Amino acid sequence: MAPFLNALACLIALGSALFLWRKGSSPYRNGALLAGFLVLFSVFCYFGGDINDPTLEHYPFRMLALCLCLSTTSLPLYRRRYLVLAQSLWCWIELFGGISLYYRGIDIAWTRIAALLCMTLCSTFLSKISKEMEFCLMVFWLAVWVFF
Amino acid sequence: MGMDRREFIKSCSLVAVMGLLFGCRKIPFSEVAGDLPSLKRFEDEVKLAMSQAKKTLDLVKIPTPGALKIPGASPMNRFGMAIDLDLCDSCGKCILACNLENNVPLVPAEDAARNRFMHWVDMRGNAPFMCAHCGNAPCERVCPTGAANHTPDGLSAMMFKRCTGSRFCGANCPVQARKFNFNDAQKLGLARQFNKEVPLRDQGVMEKCSLCLHRLQNDRLDFKTKLTVGVTTEDAEWRGRGVKTACAEACPKNAIIFGNWLDDKSPLVKLTKNRVLYAPRELADLDPSVVFMRGRR
Amino acid sequence: MFKYLMLAGLALFLPGLYALGYSIFEGPSAWMVDSRTFWGTPISLFVFWIGLAHAGTLLSAIFLALDIKLDRRTALIAELSTLVCLVFAALFPLMHLGVIENFYMVVPLLDARGNFANVSSPLVWDFCCIAVYALLSLLFFTTHLKTREIPTLEKYRKPMAWLLFPLVLWVHTVVSLDFAATFVPQWRGAFFPVYFIAGAIFSGLALMNLLLCTEGYRVRLLERLQLIFSWFMCAIWIWDLMLKGSICTSALIFAGVLPQLRMVSFIRENKWGRIALSLSVLLGLFLERLYIVSPEFGLQTSSSLNWIDWGLVAFSVGGFILLFFGIRRYLNMKMEGSSAYFGEVDGNDLADAEQQELEKENVDVRGIEKPKKGFYIQPWASEEYHVLRFPLLVGFGVAIAYAFWMVGQSVFANVDFSFANIVPLLYPIIALVTALTLFVRAYFVEHAFTLSRFEKWTCAVLLVLLAACAGAFFAGGASQGSNLSLDSQPVAVDRPVSQDHARLIWNARCATCHGAEGKFNEKFVREFYPVPQKLDLQRLDSLGSDSLVKVILNGRVNMNAYAGRLTPSEALGLVNYMRSLAKEGE
Repeated sequence: MAPFLNALACLIALGSALFLWRKGSSPYRNGALLAGFLVLFSVFCYFGGDINDPTLEHYPFRMLALCLCLSTTSLPLYRRRYLVLAQSLWCWIELFGGISLYYRGIDIAWTRIAALLCMTLCSTFLSKISKEMEFCLMVFWLAVWVFF
Repeated sequence: MGMDRREFIKSCSLVAVMGLLFGCRKIPFSEVAGDLPSLKRFEDEVKLAMSQAKKTLDLVKIPTPGALKIPGASPMNRFGMAIDLDLCDSCGKCILACNLENNVPLVPAEDAARNRFMHWVDMRGNAPFMCAHCGNAPCERVCPTGAANHTPDGLSAMMFKRCTGSRFCGANCPVQARKFNFNDAQKLGLARQFNKEVPLRDQGVMEKCSLCLHRLQNDRLDFKTKLTVGVTTEDAEWRGRGVKTACAEACPKNAIIFGNWLDDKSPLVKLTKNRVLYAPRELADLDPSVVFMRGRR
Repeated sequence: MFKYLMLAGLALFLPGLYALGYSIFEGPSAWMVDSRTFWGTPISLFVFWIGLAHAGTLLSAIFLALDIKLDRRTALIAELSTLVCLVFAALFPLMHLGVIENFYMVVPLLDARGNFANVSSPLVWDFCCIAVYALLSLLFFTTHLKTREIPTLEKYRKPMAWLLFPLVLWVHTVVSLDFAATFVPQWRGAFFPVYFIAGAIFSGLALMNLLLCTEGYRVRLLERLQLIFSWFMCAIWIWDLMLKGSICTSALIFAGVLPQLRMVSFIRENKWGRIALSLSVLLGLFLERLYIVSPEFGLQTSSSLNWIDWGLVAFSVGGFILLFFGIRRYLNMKMEGSSAYFGEVDGNDLADAEQQELEKENVDVRGIEKPKKGFYIQPWASEEYHVLRFPLLVGFGVAIAYAFWMVGQSVFANVDFSFANIVPLLYPIIALVTALTLFVRAYFVEHAFTLSRFEKWTCAVLLVLLAACAGAFFAGGASQGSNLSLDSQPVAVDRPVSQDHARLIWNARCATCHGAEGKFNEKFVREFYPVPQKLDLQRLDSLGSDSLVKVILNGRVNMNAYAGRLTPSEALGLVNYMRSLAKEGE
């Protein structure tokens, strides 16, 4: 996928994250939103990239993972727990998607997985997530997405 | 005058004894009618397979195979074949020769009707098509027991006794070159051991082209024996010169060339020097040892 | 109620058992086979049941780990359903093998022949993951059952839940990699891990809702999740459609469209309506699994489903019903005061009871007041981590040592390994060793619980069985021996052949296994045969020339008879040559 579209993807993920986990929202709303976002990301990937490119196969799911990570920064309760879980989900998708692609001849992006794992581990040490920390986390994730 | 009773009994018993002796002679097993399939059945099946064969073959250009990239690969030997598409007229003699050499079993009528044969060589796109012995074989990667593995001199080997029949290798071959023994061919009277050097496979194991491994092994043993008794040979190491696979031997146009990619004196290297080499599209990135050639460079 | 269900289960199970027996006897040609991938219904059933097994662990372990309150009855039913589903899930990969006797070759442990399973194959990861998952689920379930008598065991439940949480996702991810790591165009999907896990959780929720209907109560949280997951699955199917251009329409209808009827309150409030919804989801997801595993199903090149396939489905469904409700009834009868666990209680009452328990739990075992909801404890300071610290260390150590030992095996001399090939094996080993260390330490060091005599005997018997299995896997099957046996008749020999002649024959016929110098040919032998006996002088002398000649002519276990190919004088010459080699080797 072209770098411009890659950056656009993370902007779309960021934009979608704004709608999740609003105060007083029912699980139905959040569930429907997540499914809807997945369809949106799928459509974006379909038109934005070459559908025959193997690295595109898990792209919508990576976008969803990024969106979830970005959205956890606005949770009212259990923020750190879900932060760690969302990042673990992203690591999971990257690692096992990577292994699947490796078996078809494409190299795994070890740096990306290592960076995410590091941040996941470090997040477990956070005791209080201030607004600045939230911002730093978001910047880190977007940087990993765009550069790694 | 006619016989009296005693003589009659004597002659009858003599005839009976002769009949018994005749009946008790050892009948070689292979001559008992109906137990072993006839050669004609094998020939007919090859013709049937050829009539149902796929007519297209998607080929892309590839560079000349070099040394294997696996650890411990032999720097002297990498066996392979080249099939000359300009010479081949798809007569099918190679398929029959391979079947007889490797004791490939027949298949029941339902499988034959569905174009599912056990032949190691199929006719595809009017050319013989068999396992390409990929240097980076997807089948070997996924075999759970290690029955599918790669020898240092370039053969994708199959160990029948180690196969547990998971059929993962067959699923992962991009060109479906592997065959599975769904039936107990010996029990159904569909197998015949034309060649005593190659074992008959049990039900439940995968099989595929072995580049006539048994011929290579015999040649290797011969070389080693000569070496130990000091019979002079031109090299210090075995290079497999002079070995021909059954299909290469049977081809009347010499369109199949077997040899050693790493041996400059091998006919394979000499005859592929100026030719353009091709491989099926799905195998191009997997470093195949069996290639097609067409046209000149 | 359970009795009628069990009768229905029996009616499905018996013909299913016949189908299973027939399949094992006939081999893979018996059931529907996809001519492209050679896989068919057994593997679809395997993926289906493994997915259902995840429901149990999801609900009991993951909810426990995430502090989502679930009443004890639902959690126990969930855990039991995991175990029963696993029994059937484990059966199918075994019965689909072409040579079932060789199944032990998939186990990545020592082998007497020096062989080793191919650890970069997803099927080997499958075996390890499922074996460890079964063991840990069993431990988790029995711990939960015993917390009634021994409340101190409660402190081990959450650490186990944290171990099981990634493990259950790992298992289904590895199952998805069976497909995603191949070149089959219809299995193209680096997104398969998420896809399969979502499908597993979805089918598991449907199963749980179904089981709760038979229990006579409902948990609305699970029903809501079922609806939400149907949306998620539809979204994933849309992406799959975009990638590959085809979609399983029956799955879409049964598991995508029909579950939306839950929004109709008439269907939702009616027990039979809910049962119908769950069954529809299960049917849809089974058809989807069939569609995934057999890319050519429905086309001319594949066979169509025959009675064996439906028989296998009936076997698993009927067997599940029989086993699950059988154990359920047993637990009902055997456990005193089981009404507190499994009694005919409505889910709402249980929720209130749990609320009271929650207030009681605010003072934990150590007397420290438990933090209120929302107050954050660092994971590394939590009680669960304290319990898990040392076992985790042991687990990591063993896993790393195992990884190095495994990669160093001689059979992998020609194989190019990367870290990615071994990663999926590591976590099951870590989880297994951690859980075992945890319980061993709890029993022997901390004396946290005691075992009754019956339980001690059960553990001992299980250990012995496990050791026997390991030993059987190590020895492996015997290769076919020769039919002839040694007799006591002397062999007529006029004169042995010359030393040179014997040397030629040795190099031509014997050296492949026994080596040119009489020490065995390591590489060749280890690939094909068990290791032959040492040919040292002391042994040759003790056996005597006569018996050695007979061995050559008549063969031995794993050595063919040479009677037709060598004359007795050649055999005697070989024996003399063997002794001269042994003398040289001294």
